[in-house]
Amino acid sequence: MRAPTEKAFSSPLHHPRVATAIGRCLGVAVVVCFLTGLFSHFQQSAPDWVYIPSRPASLYRVTQGLHVLSGIVAVPLLLAKLWTVYPKLFAKPPWPPSRKALSMVVERLSILVLVAALALELFIGFVNTLQWYPWPFPFRQTHYALAWIIVGALLVHLAVKLPLITTHWRKPAIERETADGTGLSRRGLFRTVAGAGALVGIASVGQSVPVLGPVAVLAPRKPGIGPQGLPVNRTARDAGVTTAGADWRFTIKGPEQLTYTLDELRDLPQSRSELPIACVEGWSQGARWEGIRIRDLLALCGAPADSRIRVVSMEKDGFYATSELPPQFAADPLTLLALRLNGGGLDLDHGFPARIIAPNRPGVLQTKWVHRLEVVS
Amino acid sequence: MTKARTTLAICGVALGLWGLWLLLQTLSTDALIRLPLWLGGAVLADDFVLIPLTIGVGWILTRWSIGRTVATVRTTLLYVGITTLIAIPLLLRQGKGANPTVLSRDYLRDWLLLEATIVLAGVLALVVRRRRLRRADGSAGSRLRRARRS
Repeated sequence: MRAPTEKAFSSPLHHPRVATAIGRCLGVAVVVCFLTGLFSHFQQSAPDWVYIPSRPASLYRVTQGLHVLSGIVAVPLLLAKLWTVYPKLFAKPPWPPSRKALSMVVERLSILVLVAALALELFIGFVNTLQWYPWPFPFRQTHYALAWIIVGALLVHLAVKLPLITTHWRKPAIERETADGTGLSRRGLFRTVAGAGALVGIASVGQSVPVLGPVAVLAPRKPGIGPQGLPVNRTARDAGVTTAGADWRFTIKGPEQLTYTLDELRDLPQSRSELPIACVEGWSQGARWEGIRIRDLLALCGAPADSRIRVVSMEKDGFYATSELPPQFAADPLTLLALRLNGGGLDLDHGFPARIIAPNRPGVLQTKWVHRLEVVS
Repeated sequence: MTKARTTLAICGVALGLWGLWLLLQTLSTDALIRLPLWLGGAVLADDFVLIPLTIGVGWILTRWSIGRTVATVRTTLLYVGITTLIAIPLLLRQGKGANPTVLSRDYLRDWLLLEATIVLAGVLALVVRRRRLRRADGSAGSRLRRARRS
């Protein structure tokens, strides 16, 4: 069988104007996905020069929801873009070797990098939201590094195509209508692609927007499912935590070291916070928490409200066993050592006897089964 | 324009190399050897399965030449295809969630309902479009007859 030539694809929809219009939308999705992803990365491993505010309280919920949404919407956009430029795959480089041939080869390599990295990134990103890791490399590190490679290859691609893009940026004065043999006009194609993006978006965004939960048939999470009506990422069993008995003690170590039983914690002044659990996998749900403000605990042990705190869990796993609460989060009156959730005592899977809940933070840092706080500075 | 292009290209290469350096820093040798296989697989899946499939279906539809409503059929099939593509991992992992709150839906039922809805919407759109086209043809015809009579 012979490979087809570039001319074999007769549809006039394989046109630079179509590629520019769809590429623009894909570009927006990629940029939104990249920036929200970068924010999430800084939340989890921030260099010292990055300051993350504790407000707006739902900021991370929105950015991470957008991250996963833009990634899913990018799937039909990427496929449409690849479809539009598909005949180019069969264009023969000029022969004999020349400057032009060389630049074509370099351009093709940059596109290969872009397509490979973007397609794999979208795939592992989506499959990660199912908490499924069938690949032989670490997810977080690979997902982060590929993101930079994608943005880099995209800039190179823009540099190469800039004259073509500027020529076809605006709609031509006379649009050739229904020239495709299947009766699909350019406008029809744009509508179809926009419809596909909207369709997969609406069918999945319900995991972060509970109103659309019932139709989130393409989302791995459903709001309202789980102990106390709230989903869980890591259960007590996964974390190797069994129930806390009567000998359980909570310790806060600052200028003074104080130790409390669970009943003594319940007798301290309690505060309420309405805060979401917002996970890196994109799902999120609001909840009502009750417990002791971290700043109140700091005052009791004689530390200033804006202290940096090390949070120690009863978990055995090194990665989740401790987390750090930066000063602005410790000082925020919404940040609690929570003992109650949605009107009942914390379920063991939600971190019984006590957990951290803070505004504008990824769920992975809302450490559960907390038994010790240490003032670091 | 040349200046902008050069700047873009230099920034792009720099960011790409930064990403490559991150990979080399954080991944084990074993993972670094296998990653390119997965990257290649992603390209193969797109350029040699998904896109040819889309083009092939479009070509077959043209061959059948269902008439002017073929665009509606094509759009419906595309929507069925893209939602099914995204549903595949969910269907494969049905009931295998890390805990009962992950993948708690009946994805097979939900997927069938979704596809049924899309097909139904497609059929409705087709009926409406056919009727509109016929009416347009009819009125064009009557205008022609009137013109002939006078």
